[in-house]
Amino acid sequence: MDHLGVVLGGVPTTLLVTATCFGVGAVLGLVLVTGRRSGSVVVRGLSRTIIDLLRGIPPIVFLFIVFFGIGSGAIRLSPFVAAVIGLGLISAAHLAEIYRGSLLAVHRGQFEAAQALGLGRVTTYTRVVGPQAVRVAIPGMVTWAISLLKDSALVSTIGVAEIMSVTNQDARSSGSSLTPFVIAAAIYIALGSPLAYLSRYLERKLSLKGAR
Amino acid sequence: MTEPLTSPARPILSIEGLSKQFGDHTAVDDVSLDVRPGEVVAIIGPSGSGKSTLLRCINLLESPTTGRITVGGIPTEVDGKVSQRELVALRRKVGMVFQSFNLFPHLTVLRNISLPQERVLGRSRAEADARSMALLEQVGLASKASSHPPRCSGGQQQRVAIARALALDPSVMLFDEPTSALDPELGLEVLSVMRQLADEGMTMIVVTHEIHFASDVADRLIVMADGRIIEQGDPKTVIDDPQVERTRTFLSAIRDR
Repeated sequence: MDHLGVVLGGVPTTLLVTATCFGVGAVLGLVLVTGRRSGSVVVRGLSRTIIDLLRGIPPIVFLFIVFFGIGSGAIRLSPFVAAVIGLGLISAAHLAEIYRGSLLAVHRGQFEAAQALGLGRVTTYTRVVGPQAVRVAIPGMVTWAISLLKDSALVSTIGVAEIMSVTNQDARSSGSSLTPFVIAAAIYIALGSPLAYLSRYLERKLSLKGAR
Repeated sequence: MTEPLTSPARPILSIEGLSKQFGDHTAVDDVSLDVRPGEVVAIIGPSGSGKSTLLRCINLLESPTTGRITVGGIPTEVDGKVSQRELVALRRKVGMVFQSFNLFPHLTVLRNISLPQERVLGRSRAEADARSMALLEQVGLASKASSHPPRCSGGQQQRVAIARALALDPSVMLFDEPTSALDPELGLEVLSVMRQLADEGMTMIVVTHEIHFASDVADRLIVMADGRIIEQGDPKTVIDDPQVERTRTFLSAIRDR
């Protein structure tokens, strides 16, 4: 049996789930961190609660809530859409915290200088503080992408045909379990290691550049 | 003490009854101050006397608890809620230079000066760059235009920061201990730029520990303690013959260093 061929068949879906969830999370994370830093106590509290909930619920429980709980009721969600909503929202919460930490790392004087010059809030974030915060955020974001790649195996439980799902079927139909799962493990490592390398590279490069 | 410093010229900056509370602590206590166009006011005082807080209240980096600030004839009640429009209008007329320079490290020296002009005054990139270069020339740093701030010395960074503030054509420039983070030599190059500015008639309020600068350049010296102005007047007179005991102890502490 060609276990490798079967397991490799799940790679495009794994990459698609990971990339889509990361993209959704990266954008919604910006919304959440904006809320977290809002002037309004209500918006701040609400954003914080959403972030805490999304980070507090185990991903598989949240996926089941989205797919079986919500997605099979009034609205029908395909496994892929449910996966993107589930892991996308969880990513948003984690990335929001990474953004928040990186904004805190930008010296207070940068905000004050922008204010004193009369720059608006949007310009301050997009042109002054944002570019500095990104340097701090990138290593954490890449680390999150690696976690997400591995956690995407969870969406096999709601029927998305990614690596874990096709491996599981292969194991059942072939009767041999060890080989397919070891192959799957090797593929996850192969997919993740460029990201890990990228993370270390960026960390080195950005820390040099960011030196005052 | 009061003194006959009131001139017929209408003050370009007028502060009335300004107070700032931090919880129970009163950092600035009912301060009023008129500054004439072209006047250079130096503020000295022990740390914690409220001089930096006063300065930061003038462009609303700190929101004062009560008071009124008038710049160029337009008054702003600064107690509690100041609208965004009033805030921007006030800051446009007031330039500020910080102790820690606060240049944007990811932008070149030129972009540091040009970006605010484009965003705040709506100047085109070419207009802004032309103005920036002229100012860099003036502070002796034209050759640094394409460098990033971390590659510049502290004194150079502070001169760029001065140029950046001047580029927005403020009516008043505020300096918050502009040389305190610098070696004496680097401080001198910053002070010489400030001296030049004063000679050109810029209205300036300078919080400083540089007693020589205060006595040579300032038109008026203000001594603050416990959030209040305890003494003010001609710098040489105040320094040579302080009328208030607190001023005497402070000045002798500075001299004995």
